[in-house]
Amino acid sequence: MKLILSSVSGVPIYEQIKQQVKAAILSGELGEGEALPSLRTLAKDLKISVLTVTRAYTELEQEGFVKNVQGRGCFVLGRGSQRMREHLLYEAETHLAEGIQAAKLAKLSQKELHRLLDILWEATTDDELFGSN
Amino acid sequence: MRNTWKAAKLDLALVRPYLKVICLTMLLPIAFAAVNRSLFTGVSFAMCFVAMTTGYPFAVAEKNHMERLYGILPVKKRDLVLGRYLFVLMLGLLALAVSLLTQPLVLGAMGESVAGGDVLGAAVGGLFLFSLYTVFQLPGYYKFGAIQGRMFLYLPVAGFLVTLFLLPRLPASAMAAVTGSSPVLLGVLALALVVVMYGVSIWCSVRTMEHKQL
Amino acid sequence: MTNYLEVTELSKSFAQFHLHDISFTLPKGYIMGLIGPNGSGKTTTIQLILNMLARSSGEVKILGLDNLAQEQQAKAAVGVVFDSNYFSDDWSAAQVERSVSVFYPNWDGARFAQWLERFRIAPDKRVGELSKGMQMKLMLACAFSYDAKLLILDEPTSGLDPVSREELLEILSEYIEDGEHSVLFSTHITADLERTADYITYLRHGELFYSGGKDEFVDLFRLVKGSREELSQQVKEKALGVRTFPTGFEALVKTEDLPAFPGLCVEPASIDEIVVFTSKEGGGDHA
Repeated sequence: MKLILSSVSGVPIYEQIKQQVKAAILSGELGEGEALPSLRTLAKDLKISVLTVTRAYTELEQEGFVKNVQGRGCFVLGRGSQRMREHLLYEAETHLAEGIQAAKLAKLSQKELHRLLDILWEATTDDELFGSN
Repeated sequence: MRNTWKAAKLDLALVRPYLKVICLTMLLPIAFAAVNRSLFTGVSFAMCFVAMTTGYPFAVAEKNHMERLYGILPVKKRDLVLGRYLFVLMLGLLALAVSLLTQPLVLGAMGESVAGGDVLGAAVGGLFLFSLYTVFQLPGYYKFGAIQGRMFLYLPVAGFLVTLFLLPRLPASAMAAVTGSSPVLLGVLALALVVVMYGVSIWCSVRTMEHKQL
Repeated sequence: MTNYLEVTELSKSFAQFHLHDISFTLPKGYIMGLIGPNGSGKTTTIQLILNMLARSSGEVKILGLDNLAQEQQAKAAVGVVFDSNYFSDDWSAAQVERSVSVFYPNWDGARFAQWLERFRIAPDKRVGELSKGMQMKLMLACAFSYDAKLLILDEPTSGLDPVSREELLEILSEYIEDGEHSVLFSTHITADLERTADYITYLRHGELFYSGGKDEFVDLFRLVKGSREELSQQVKEKALGVRTFPTGFEALVKTEDLPAFPGLCVEPASIDEIVVFTSKEGGGDHA
């Protein structure tokens, strides 16, 4: 797994770690049961604070992506884990809510928004199909 | 005690670059003894010279800002002070031993006879003089540092001049009466005084050191 | 969690300066940055921790040991790096070992040799001939040779070139990797701490301004920017520090106050910016 941290992006370092670990898990690059790099080794390698990595790992655990086994390390949970599903559902809800807000401002009807969603859904599904070829 | 010994060894490491000078000050008094044809004068010179080298560990430490090393070493400040006294005392005793071994030989070769009692008297007298210089010097160096307190460097010279000019002026008969009547008592008294003086001196130095910013 | 350093209500009075009621704790396995402008009491705090200076009141515990009553054991577990070297210039690196090793029961000569090799310090090289960066490494080599659990560094990077500074940070990250060592690092070059420090203790005018997690510290503040017209009375009142210039202003505000400034450009603040804005005389209340 690769981790690339930017110090000018304005995104906090722990957030960058979280996002990249999540992406790796969701893309299947990190499989179920695989160990994340040891907390202190990662901090040393990236020359960042141990507490920053701790925070990233703790939040990943709270969101159901990984499980911390005391003294052994952090392990990736299955993509079907209940907590991860809940978290993803929550993410989908919040983003949809934002979309609805914007749609209302643009005076779109509920029906029009539904159609938009269908089109986007098709488009991303096609993308994924092409992507996997 | 082990820490005192370690601290004394550290002082030896400090003055290493000056060992040649220190050796010279220990051998030079032989010439003075020969010129004056007197063991006691030679020993007085020796004690004066060696007492002038006791500022070296202070000067080297100050030049290299080593008070910070003293601040971080895992020993009490008291141990560092005791170590310095031990080092200085050993320096003095070494100078005294060198004098008492070499000077009677040189004097003997020159035809002067040196009695065993004279050597013993010079030993006690020398130790007393050395203590007299250093019990003032060391607290002075601790208080003012080697550079600001450099007047303490010349204390032995002053002491030596006083001895040199005062002793002959004392009525010889009185001296002889004192030393002759009870030389043992006088020696014991001198040694006791040495112990008391060092006690007070060490107490002062430790106090200074403990209140000092390292 | 074990604390490697506990400083409780530490105070020291001088004629011109007072260090007042400083308390902080550094847990085992982490790096703490001790920051603040010059004259804020960083060096005094370190000298009090090491009992190089007699404190007026308070308490210091190093690895749970009282720094006065158990001074010897405590100091045997502490390694110190000052801004300049404290060995005799006339000593060789080997002589440094001979002089200092006897004081430490844990001294490991083989390890000292390894560190000298890694740092490329020849054992017969005189201390006075070493560069500033090399002298710092020699002090580190000593601390590592008796496996000091707590490393205290007082302005170690002042006067060091960027390469040596980076190297030091790398060595420190490596030092705490096993979770058994801690570092207290005083500096006014806060860029050194921006990434590696876990905790920050910020002293200002001899008083404690903040002690706690670094990320939380940085998160407490934001930099808001705007035009001169946008510099309202409210901004001035809430800001911890304001800098104005012909084309606009910059102000440091508490993150919790942000909702009071809609429409202004908001950026995260660096440690440096926080220190600069908050250390100005009359620069607002404590965080």
